[in-house]
Amino acid sequence: MFGPIVKPKDLREAVQRVAEGGRPLAGGTDLFVRIRKGLEKPGMLVYVGELPELGVLRATREGLEIGAARTHSELLESPLTEPFPILRKTLGTIASPALRAMGTLGGNLVNASPAGDSLVALYLLEAQVRIVGPQGERELFVQEFIQGPGKTGLRPGELVVSVFLPYVEGEPVSYFRKVGRRQALYISVVSLGALVWLDGEKITKARLALGSVAPTVVRPRAVEEALVGRLAHVEAVQDLVSLLSSLVQPISDLRASADYRRKVSGNLLLDLALFLQNRK
Amino acid sequence: MNPTQIAEGKAVGQGVLRVDAEAKVAGQARYIDDLGFPGMVHAQVVRSDRPHARLRRLDLSPVLAHPKVVAVVTPRDIPGQNCVPIIYRDMPALAEDVVRYVGEPVALVAAETREAAREAALRARIDFEDLPAVFDPLEALNPGAPQAAVREAAEQGNVFNAMRIRKGNVEEGFAQADVIVEGEYRVGYQEHLYLEPQGVIAVPEEGGMTVYGSLQCPFYVQNAVATVLGLPFAKVRIVQTVTGGGFGGKEDVPSHLAAMAALLAWKSKRPVKLVYDRDEDIATTSKRHPGIIRYRTGAKRDGTLTAVEVEFFYNAGAYQTLSSAVLWRGLIHAAGPYRIPHVKVDGYSVATHTVPCGAFRGFGSPQVIFAHESQMDELAKALGMDPLALRAKNALRVGDRTATDQVLEESVGLWECIERVRALARWDELQREVEEFNRRERFRRRGLGVSTVMYGVGMGAKAPLLDKAGAYVKLEVDGSVTVAVGTTEMGQGAQTVLSQIAAEALGVPISSVQIAPVDTSRVPDSGPTVASRTTTVQGQAIVDAAAKLRQRIDQAVRLILECPQFTLEGQTFCASGAARRRATLADVARWMWAHNWDMGATGWVEAAPVDWDPQTGLGKAYFVYSYAAHLAEVEVDLLTGEVKVTRFWAVHDSGKIVNPDTARGQVLGGIAQGIGYALLEELVSQDGRILYPTLTAYHIPTSADVPEVAVEFGEAPYSAGPFGAKGLGEVPLMASHVAVANAISRAVGRRLRQYPALPQRVLELVEGGLG
Ligand SMILES: Cc1cc2nc3c(=O)[nH]c(=O)nc-3n(C[C@H](O)[C@H](O)[C@H](O)COP(=O)(O)OP(=O)(O)OC[C@H]3O[C@@H](n4cnc5c(N)ncnc54)[C@H](O)[C@@H]3O)c2cc1C
Repeated sequence: MFGPIVKPKDLREAVQRVAEGGRPLAGGTDLFVRIRKGLEKPGMLVYVGELPELGVLRATREGLEIGAARTHSELLESPLTEPFPILRKTLGTIASPALRAMGTLGGNLVNASPAGDSLVALYLLEAQVRIVGPQGERELFVQEFIQGPGKTGLRPGELVVSVFLPYVEGEPVSYFRKVGRRQALYISVVSLGALVWLDGEKITKARLALGSVAPTVVRPRAVEEALVGRLAHVEAVQDLVSLLSSLVQPISDLRASADYRRKVSGNLLLDLALFLQNRK
Repeated sequence: MNPTQIAEGKAVGQGVLRVDAEAKVAGQARYIDDLGFPGMVHAQVVRSDRPHARLRRLDLSPVLAHPKVVAVVTPRDIPGQNCVPIIYRDMPALAEDVVRYVGEPVALVAAETREAAREAALRARIDFEDLPAVFDPLEALNPGAPQAAVREAAEQGNVFNAMRIRKGNVEEGFAQADVIVEGEYRVGYQEHLYLEPQGVIAVPEEGGMTVYGSLQCPFYVQNAVATVLGLPFAKVRIVQTVTGGGFGGKEDVPSHLAAMAALLAWKSKRPVKLVYDRDEDIATTSKRHPGIIRYRTGAKRDGTLTAVEVEFFYNAGAYQTLSSAVLWRGLIHAAGPYRIPHVKVDGYSVATHTVPCGAFRGFGSPQVIFAHESQMDELAKALGMDPLALRAKNALRVGDRTATDQVLEESVGLWECIERVRALARWDELQREVEEFNRRERFRRRGLGVSTVMYGVGMGAKAPLLDKAGAYVKLEVDGSVTVAVGTTEMGQGAQTVLSQIAAEALGVPISSVQIAPVDTSRVPDSGPTVASRTTTVQGQAIVDAAAKLRQRIDQAVRLILECPQFTLEGQTFCASGAARRRATLADVARWMWAHNWDMGATGWVEAAPVDWDPQTGLGKAYFVYSYAAHLAEVEVDLLTGEVKVTRFWAVHDSGKIVNPDTARGQVLGGIAQGIGYALLEELVSQDGRILYPTLTAYHIPTSADVPEVAVEFGEAPYSAGPFGAKGLGEVPLMASHVAVANAISRAVGRRLRQYPALPQRVLELVEGGLG
């Protein structure tokens, strides 16, 4: 079904192997599913899960650098991710404990699924993706990196080394709601994540990101701007529900219809407002 | 001292640990795919990708050209009859001229490896000439609809079977009613999703064939293999391997797998393994019948039911398999567990060009129960009555007549179940809690739903020939006991419960009882392991055998102790009176062996007679019924339509509970499966094709989807069951789904009439109902 799995001795060799057409393999929770379905037949798998550069977890003055091969459960358990509650909230909803112990942040990112839960956090935190390839290193913002379902800005031979999360100013409230068809182990049908900065009851700044409602995660800038200056109350945001619904471009698939996704995208703004209202 | 007095042991009624638990938990149990035989090859089925087509040409030469292919089989290679006999004989092992559903087997390939078999099968070149097809059961009934049913197997056109009940006069009944409710309900497929997919290994042996497999009904399989190979039954041996779940899905389907594997083994003269992977299993094996169900129910102002009228259609798929029996159970259960003077029911099982449906826990009853219990709630609403009170008022009791006019002579614990669930859930307080929650919450609503059901235990009057069981109980020379029965363990706990019954009946510790592996050449045909009949019917056969053996043991004890009276202290027989002699069962066994006594006894039981008239639909449909009352609390998110089951209460009357722990396990599992049916499980099919036969698309409940459940048993004993036991296995599933559905309808204020209650469907209800 697939070619040999090689374990490169260092990052250089990994890049070389990938440049030869090898396919990076981290936890395999996406890749093996695709291979088994016959969607891919890679000639060679390059196991990147144990490369030291991809295993970093380092807090700097500006933010946190997370190696691409760090697993979801490692990130959920590490004290270093504490300043990023939104990351923990999203990672905590991925799959099941067993899959979180295998799946990596890099894999979730490169998989570039509109339903990738960590992506909502990465968009909200305006993460940077650190890349290495035959031509050297470069960096892209997550919204540049992700180009569409399964499509990224990686060029042939390139690997994701790490993701950098800059600290956010102040202490925004983190919100994440993943809507799906059961209580655990499900792919999102619609998700909304938010960072909301408050001055008492008033919203001073907001970042919103929606998953599964467009080819990529969506930042509804118009709603983010319109929220500024409003009270964090259900009544105060009611008129933005339809605006939010209009900013997504969902499709109908086996999980839900486009109409449902559009409607729920808007409705989740009310859920967010209620969450802010009921906080404490 | 008589044997029954001695039999008052401690086994029945105990929460004994499952005898198979340790091996399964430790990963030591060997399932079919863990087994291998020298020289074994692997099978792959070549299938139709058309719903209805003429098979013009089948070219397998590219398949044979594959270097690892060992054999191929087409209908021409079948030495016996090309038929998988189930109730009818319409289904071929391999389609011959015409294919009738997507996934129907047309040829077989055996190769050295599983991958090679798979690759090679893809090379088959098949010329189809498409024929008009029909997928919807109502369309299939239209005049001029494409013919799906094999003509000899159908009553008329695509009507496989039409069945009815006429009791009293419904016109009169509705005329007496103050309130009438009416509705149409729809359900889709439900997939069994047993943990272990279907699988068998066929091994040619001594001029015959032995098939090992994951299966429920070995004697069905024996019939199928003998039929396709043209062998005497005595040359065909079926051995059940550790079976990882069945739920009805391994009632009839293994006959087909075994027939196919046996054909390849016969031709290649090598052992052949045929194990489906999950996608193949979901796409091509039986499921719960989709249904369209129409109801009208009438009641007087005080809630007394006067009439019910039902018309329902089940989509049977392309072949009969078990559909006639499924339809019959649906028919008998359609009116619910209520006293209703006027009943009219018409049920139809309809052939379409889709995968054949079959047995699934509840066997045709969950579909009509969704409808009748929804109707009861609609009625309660229309009457302004408490839904539990309405059910209690109409609940069948001893002496009442069922929908088929059967007089219930004993063991009717329904009313008690209703009253106990009311107390268990603190019904009045609970309703206040829910109201308070709903007042407090902005975007969430809770609702409570109840359901009551009855379940006819055993095969019933449609298949009385199968309701028998044999048992062979053998005292070993050291006092341990071997029991051979023809019913199977598939994960439901039968081995444990039957061990308990044997231990109780013999007065020995459970640990000294061993249930023998099921091998058709060594165990008595005990009928199928279905219909929640194993504990009741098989258990009684063990009691019968044990009683015979007991008599001999008692006789031996008297001779050994040299005294006509004795007592049993612990496991030791003690002479009464002055003589102080003692003997353990091991001593007695050794003595019997040394004196050349027969140490084995056969037991046999035939279920109590039943009798039913197909013209009127009246008669004694089942020998006894089990009952349950369920209560569910759900929480609906008004913004997203998501539903969570938050609390659950269940009370069951299944007569004497042999093992409260395994019984509780059955109830929890049934509730989980019912939650799946009501909320999650949707198998989308289009033009006869199952679109996403994967676990990514088909969601069953996780542990997070099942709430805490409070379970109680009200045990109305059944005089002809072992120690008073009735059946339980199917009942919890039957009751649970509609309690959830009723709770959703209550929460959103609008009636859910279609499963599953996916968020999207619920949100539509919310928008329609709450404005
Ligand atoms: C049952 C199940 C449930 C799931 N549920 C969820 C869920 O709820 N939410 C969710 O978001 N996801 C879910 N997933 C998807 C998956 O688990 C995650 O996307 C996971 O994070 C992938 O990580 P991985 O390490 O296993 O990736 P892999 O499978 O190893 O790789 C995925 C892709 O990324 C590439 N890749 C990996 N690492 C690198 C790298 N460093 N540089 C360049 N390319 C790389 C691979 O070549 C491949 O194309 C689920 C998967 C399964 C099987």
